[in-house]
Amino acid sequence: MATESSSSSSAAVTERRGIPGAQFVEDVQTYLTQLGLDVNSALAFLQERLQQYKLVEMKLQAQQRDLQAKIPDIEKCLDVVATLQAKKGTGEELITDFEVSEGIYSRASIDDTDSVCLWLGANVMLEYSCEEATALLQKNLDNARASLEVLLADLQFLRDQVTITQVTIARVYNWDVHQRRLRQSPPKDL
Amino acid sequence: MQQGGGSETEVTWEDQQNINKFGRLNNRFHELEDEIKFAKESKDNLEDASNELILTDEEVVRFQIGEVFAHVPKEEVESRIEEMQEATSKSLAKLEEEKDSILAQMAELKKILYGKFKDSINLEED
Repeated sequence: MATESSSSSSAAVTERRGIPGAQFVEDVQTYLTQLGLDVNSALAFLQERLQQYKLVEMKLQAQQRDLQAKIPDIEKCLDVVATLQAKKGTGEELITDFEVSEGIYSRASIDDTDSVCLWLGANVMLEYSCEEATALLQKNLDNARASLEVLLADLQFLRDQVTITQVTIARVYNWDVHQRRLRQSPPKDL
Repeated sequence: MQQGGGSETEVTWEDQQNINKFGRLNNRFHELEDEIKFAKESKDNLEDASNELILTDEEVVRFQIGEVFAHVPKEEVESRIEEMQEATSKSLAKLEEEKDSILAQMAELKKILYGKFKDSINLEED
């Protein structure tokens, strides 16, 4: 959640993990004077900011998809290790059908076993005892879930900044339209 | 406050926060719709599986665990499927609840924002 410092005027987090915060505009006239820009330059600046935000959003969403695919994978592995552990006590062998190639399956009989091999990536596979494997997989799962949470919070912050920027663009534009109307038809004195 | 012209209604920080909140709720709402669809599909699949189980006369069923199909006795598969059905139903109920809560909050915010900005703001789905 974007933390807001207590009361009203232009209260916002200035940035979060490398994402610049969007400044909230109290009054358009003051904002433009502060920036020292005319309306078109200000609009261009804000549009550019918006594009930058969109780029970061796409990057974060790609990361989110990766994590969301990884988590069920780890859960499946935990399931398999748990099943092996459950079978351990009984002395029966576990018969499974596994995929040799697409659409082709083969039968395997797995005897009572104390260890499993885990694929760690980068062409590395290590043998672990069932308990160690469960602990490692659980740790990876917890880390993945924690990363996902942080990522989702980042995305929420980012979307808020996008909304603020869009509203600011609309307001600057409307203000400009209003100013032009005032210039064209000066108010009559009563 | 201006009537007509360049719509000079002032936007306060509170308004901005409301707009932000509405945006966030809307995003969450769409995510929830996807999640609910997925959960409903799972529930249907589990029901189909459970029905198939009743019909079959095999004693050993190939049950998918991870990427492999383990040979599991029928009773164990039945109890596993029941467990999964319960978990899915619970999660589905929770998701529907969250969806209803979000819809209510969004309706509230719409009232507030339309009240202040009337035509200058559009909060509908495109």
